[in-house]
Amino acid sequence: MLILQVLINGILLGGLYGIMALGMSLIWGVMNIVNIAHGALIMLGAYITFWAFTLLGWDPFLSLPVTVLLLFLYGYLLQRVVLNLIVRAQLFITLLITFGIEVVMVNLARIFWTSDLRQVTPAYAGTNFSVGGLTIPYVRFWVFLTTVILSVLFLLLLERTRLGRAIRATTQELRAARLTGIPVAQIYAVTFGLGAALAGAAGALWGMLFPITPTMGGALTLKSFVVAVLGGLGTMMGAIVGGLVLGLAESFSSTYLGPTYPNAISFGLLVLLLIFRPTGVLGRREQG
Amino acid sequence: MKHGSGRRWIGVAVVAVVLAVGAVAWAATDTIVLGSAISKTGKYAREGKFYVDAYTMTVDAINKTGGVKVGGKSYKLELKMYDDQSDPNLCVRLFTQLVTSDKVNFLLGPYSSGITIPASSVAEKYQIPMVQGGGASEKIFDRGYKYIFGTLPRAEFYFLSATQAAVNLNPPVKTAALAYSNEAFDRSVAEGSRQLLKEYRIEKVYDEQYPPGTQDFTSILAVIKSKNPDLILVAGHAENSLNFIRQAQAADVNPKMYVFTVGPPTADFRQALGKVAEHAYGVTPWLPDMDIGGEVFASAREFSKQFKARFGYEADYHVASGAADVLVYKFAIEKANSLDPQKVRDAIASLDVETLYGRVKFEPNGQIALGQVLIQIQQGKLVPVYVAGKFVAKPIYPMPKWSQRK
Repeated sequence: MLILQVLINGILLGGLYGIMALGMSLIWGVMNIVNIAHGALIMLGAYITFWAFTLLGWDPFLSLPVTVLLLFLYGYLLQRVVLNLIVRAQLFITLLITFGIEVVMVNLARIFWTSDLRQVTPAYAGTNFSVGGLTIPYVRFWVFLTTVILSVLFLLLLERTRLGRAIRATTQELRAARLTGIPVAQIYAVTFGLGAALAGAAGALWGMLFPITPTMGGALTLKSFVVAVLGGLGTMMGAIVGGLVLGLAESFSSTYLGPTYPNAISFGLLVLLLIFRPTGVLGRREQG
Repeated sequence: MKHGSGRRWIGVAVVAVVLAVGAVAWAATDTIVLGSAISKTGKYAREGKFYVDAYTMTVDAINKTGGVKVGGKSYKLELKMYDDQSDPNLCVRLFTQLVTSDKVNFLLGPYSSGITIPASSVAEKYQIPMVQGGGASEKIFDRGYKYIFGTLPRAEFYFLSATQAAVNLNPPVKTAALAYSNEAFDRSVAEGSRQLLKEYRIEKVYDEQYPPGTQDFTSILAVIKSKNPDLILVAGHAENSLNFIRQAQAADVNPKMYVFTVGPPTADFRQALGKVAEHAYGVTPWLPDMDIGGEVFASAREFSKQFKARFGYEADYHVASGAADVLVYKFAIEKANSLDPQKVRDAIASLDVETLYGRVKFEPNGQIALGQVLIQIQQGKLVPVYVAGKFVAKPIYPMPKWSQRK
């Protein structure tokens, strides 16, 4: 039954990777900004969940909407005030500014919240249920369900609402979008806010499974990057698919090859993909 | 022209005053500077803080009790600490700067074996003693270096008391799983543990290395669960142990006993896990309520009280080890009655003194000869279970299954 357990583990984790990458993929696809501060936004979402849990006693799943809203506002303001200055600048400049934001956020977190390991431990943490010889932890299962719900909601937003259409129009053809009266600066700010909100949600969910520290974001930015490219930049479904692919690859390689292999496998996959299918698993040729 | 000569005289006067003040200041300085590059930021920031606080408190305590006496004069100890950002390359550069341009008298170590290995080479090159309390790997001490000393016991023997206890329990442990992080310290622990398991005839059913940043142990746990060992040995840093235990609960992994190199003895680890930490074993060379002590700090208990009052958190063995490092210099300098690095180095090598950390005596290779106590977390408290070859308390064994715990 080991193989089924490994499969389940991979899927559960993959869903979380998917939602982590969704925020980065959105911002990258729409605004051509590689958000190095993505991990810091995830970290912020995790800490908000932790403080809400510790100081106010809020269940982490119930405080999720609050976390999402706060991160949206934060992202919106950040874009309007800081990043607006460098939209459509050279890629290098966007890397530099988001890197700076990351440094500031991480170090402020360290100063105010210290490097102590924090955990969100509701009463049901660590509980699990058995299905046919497989052990499935409750929290991981609910986290997976939440990522599915959030992803569906987000995709609906993009496909079915006016805002979503405006975002997609801005991505595809900037000049035409302007001509049809879309307030581009506003769209960019909302997009970044949405990306930050998704990162915040990912952080809240991540914080339910793993310890929270100010420096937790660095490795997650990298993972999101890999997932986003694996799935295909700019395609939202691609981030989800990329997440699942990575989750399964890590789970299987860790079990059958050894725990030191997942990183090699993930980056190896990335390299192969870039050689044979650079637009990613779901990417379309015309995306620049 | 009048202006020119006036300005020149002012210049001369300023230089004279500066020289005079400098001379007075220099003559009035009777300080011994201990320099260190330690992880104030970066992935080891949490542990680095233990040493920063320990060094600071011990230096202040020594100065309060009269400082260090050399040649009839009393010297004040001073600390010069840089942040190595948990980066070994930066650490080496900073130690080189401490020696060559800051010209400190002696060196205190950084944290972690991985960083101490290259940093100690600086001490050896410039022939200035370095006493460190954060690196336990034998790779630090097995290079024939003369100027590096360490107050953490040998990494390879971290699980000695655990293994000895395991075979003497009822029913005795027959199978074991070993999981270790890919870092210098943990690889050393694993090397030693393999020998120990063989020596004590425990069958090793799992032996895997994991990347240091690993947060997700579900795959490792899934495989370990399928092998069903009696004992699990985990070598890693605090975050690894924390994740492992939490995920072992989620995956319903039930060994009879699991032991961690880092984590259980430290208060914030137990706080973070709460009841889930129950029954976990750890190892430590020092406990805050031990009846040991010496000069400057009369007892471990006294030291812990002072530390908690000043810094607001409980001292663990990292802290005590750091404090011992500073004490080593006080005793060695006074024994040598000199500030000459070579003489102090020889005094450290032949030191044999009781302190709040225990008996400080170094092996010929520079590492302290101190045993580890096997402790178990019982009802949130650290209970020493096995020390120096015998049981000193009854362990809760086998560990109750997760489904049977409240």
